[in-house]
Amino acid sequence: MIDDKSGIQWNSEDPRVQRLGTFFADFHPLQQPEEWVTYEVFHQRRRGEQHVHVGSVHAPDPELALVFAKEQFARRQHCSSLWVVPSSQIHISGYENEDMFSTTPDKTYREASGYRLRHKISSYKQAQLHESDR
Amino acid sequence: MNPTVELITKMADDALIIGHRHSEWTGLGPILEEDIAMASMAQDKIGHALALYTLLQEHFAGPDPDTMAFSRKPADFRCCHLVEHPNGDYDFTLMRHFLFDHAEWLRYQMLRQSSFAPMAHFANRISGELKYHILHANTLLQRLARGSEESHARLQAALNDAFPLAMGIFEPGPYEQELAGTGVFAGEEILKNRWFLEVEHRLLSWGFQVPALSDAPAGWGGRKGYHTEFLQPLLDEMAAVIRSQPEASW
Amino acid sequence: MYGGGYVFSDPEHQIPPDDPEKLAEFEARIDRGEKIEPQDWMPYEYRRQLIRLIEQHAHSEIMGALPEGAWITRAPGFKRKLALIAKVQDEVGHAQLLYSAAETLGKSRADMVNDLLSGKSKYSNVFNYPAKTWADVAVIGFLIDAAAIVNQVANSKGSYGPYCRALERICYEESFHLKQGYDAFVALATGTKSQRAMLQDAVNRWYRPIIHFFGPPDQESKHSKQLMRWKVKMASNDDMRNQFLDSYVPKVLELDITFPDPELRKDPQTGRWQFGDPDWAEFYRVINGDGPCNAERLAVRRLAEAQGRWIRQAIMNPQQSVTIPFA
Repeated sequence: MIDDKSGIQWNSEDPRVQRLGTFFADFHPLQQPEEWVTYEVFHQRRRGEQHVHVGSVHAPDPELALVFAKEQFARRQHCSSLWVVPSSQIHISGYENEDMFSTTPDKTYREASGYRLRHKISSYKQAQLHESDR
Repeated sequence: MNPTVELITKMADDALIIGHRHSEWTGLGPILEEDIAMASMAQDKIGHALALYTLLQEHFAGPDPDTMAFSRKPADFRCCHLVEHPNGDYDFTLMRHFLFDHAEWLRYQMLRQSSFAPMAHFANRISGELKYHILHANTLLQRLARGSEESHARLQAALNDAFPLAMGIFEPGPYEQELAGTGVFAGEEILKNRWFLEVEHRLLSWGFQVPALSDAPAGWGGRKGYHTEFLQPLLDEMAAVIRSQPEASW
Repeated sequence: MYGGGYVFSDPEHQIPPDDPEKLAEFEARIDRGEKIEPQDWMPYEYRRQLIRLIEQHAHSEIMGALPEGAWITRAPGFKRKLALIAKVQDEVGHAQLLYSAAETLGKSRADMVNDLLSGKSKYSNVFNYPAKTWADVAVIGFLIDAAAIVNQVANSKGSYGPYCRALERICYEESFHLKQGYDAFVALATGTKSQRAMLQDAVNRWYRPIIHFFGPPDQESKHSKQLMRWKVKMASNDDMRNQFLDSYVPKVLELDITFPDPELRKDPQTGRWQFGDPDWAEFYRVINGDGPCNAERLAVRRLAEAQGRWIRQAIMNPQQSVTIPFA
């Protein structure tokens, strides 16, 4: 392999690299658009489960984003479906507004656990028992 | 040779050699996402070779898969010339991948009905992998065909190089009639015609000039053990470590 | 694979002052053990150091694919061949995940790759040494990956959400790397005489780069203290090195493979490992570009990028500007 700039010839330790090219290109910086754009990837493990965000891929369009997402995000894990969405299309609520959610857990009247009845029933039964004892 | 053994051997050898070629891109691909996709397909192909050699071992008393892959002489291989050629630039790699994988997809679709049950089972099992391989080839090629003048010209040139070699995929073996007669495999001629229908309309719609099908092309010979000058060095490299100490296990 | 000890101070860099109120809020959040997310306000220096850290980590993955990749076509047997392709593929996948995590901080992947290719960015020194034999693949897969896991597990408890999420998946995959590396290592160690000799030779050559892997000895720099407080740097170089030696030296010694350092031993009093002078001057020479393989690694990366350019350009939209992944 010959270094274009120095003209030095040397052997790569990698036989694949030896075959890949016979010279080294000078360094030409990548231009931003050639890295394409990003798509967010959502992964559904099995039918019936939620799609879960797992990361993003670079791709020029949604179809290729799906092709790439399959091997980057579903080559080990079980998967039944993927979604991709352009990152630019995601709208975010913003952490500066996180306090809007802060009293959510306090509103126990929305939760089944907010209704405790057993002790009332027990004391009622106790009272009934005493009544009949008398 | 048993006709089924001959069929499985050439399929396994094709898969091993193209998988090996694909793996030469691992870590060196054109963009990270594509690098990862190609590395998966390399593993799939080599995995198919392993599974097929294992079928030979289990059903036909063949040698163990490592011996088949790492210890045979080139003349014992039955792969086609298409898979032997070096990767060259990514254009040839992609075009070969497209031509080869459409043939693989159709071959295994036919084999899902094979009377040799373990083969039918295997063909069913890997159908999803092959579907991805052709999806990948189709999606990427379609875009590159319409991408730039350069990408179109590169791929047309790659097609001109790869197409005659692809004829070698369908080089008839010595047992075509037996395989068809016993219902193991319907035959290379049928496969070739189906394949041409599949690839021709795609290539045309992407604006490529498609070479004509030919019956006695330069790409023949692999199925009889005659190979390009590229196979020997490939096998030598693949077995370099194993041969350094043949008695050792790794 | 990355050793995280490569924090260099650059006194000439001007750090603009942060809003003290926001800074206090930010630090309180970290003290509460909460994660920082990309949309949060963050100190200038936090962002800058994180980009540098994650970027170096990503570069290390992509460069780390090269020494092992050199043996993909020669891996002995189906099992090793498949495992090695899968492993190198994972390294590329890790680079992809890490570049994405760094992108959330506002630096585009193209800019990061350019900084790698121009030689401006650093990556782990360990990949500037050659993989001369198959035994090198076993040593890298076992010991270098083990070292990387020590570092990455520590980093995965850091404060930046996207980096932690990427590391969680990376650590999961690294456990496969370590296992297959150990498997290949043990196969050689329990194999023929010449396999053992080959392995011993590889361990001899990799010993010093492994000691270097975690970075130079701890210094009480203000810099490093702040990064620890912000949970950018999670453990000291010496602590991680010690933890690694603790876990893995015995695993090597029990196979009757030795290290080329007569001073390597654990002090029973302090529980700390001691070792001979690892020549930190060499560490600095290599990180500054003068290692055995720096030139080749950079040249190969440039070649790979140049070879792929026509593909990337053919299907790009020239009007498209950078998009930032949101998490």
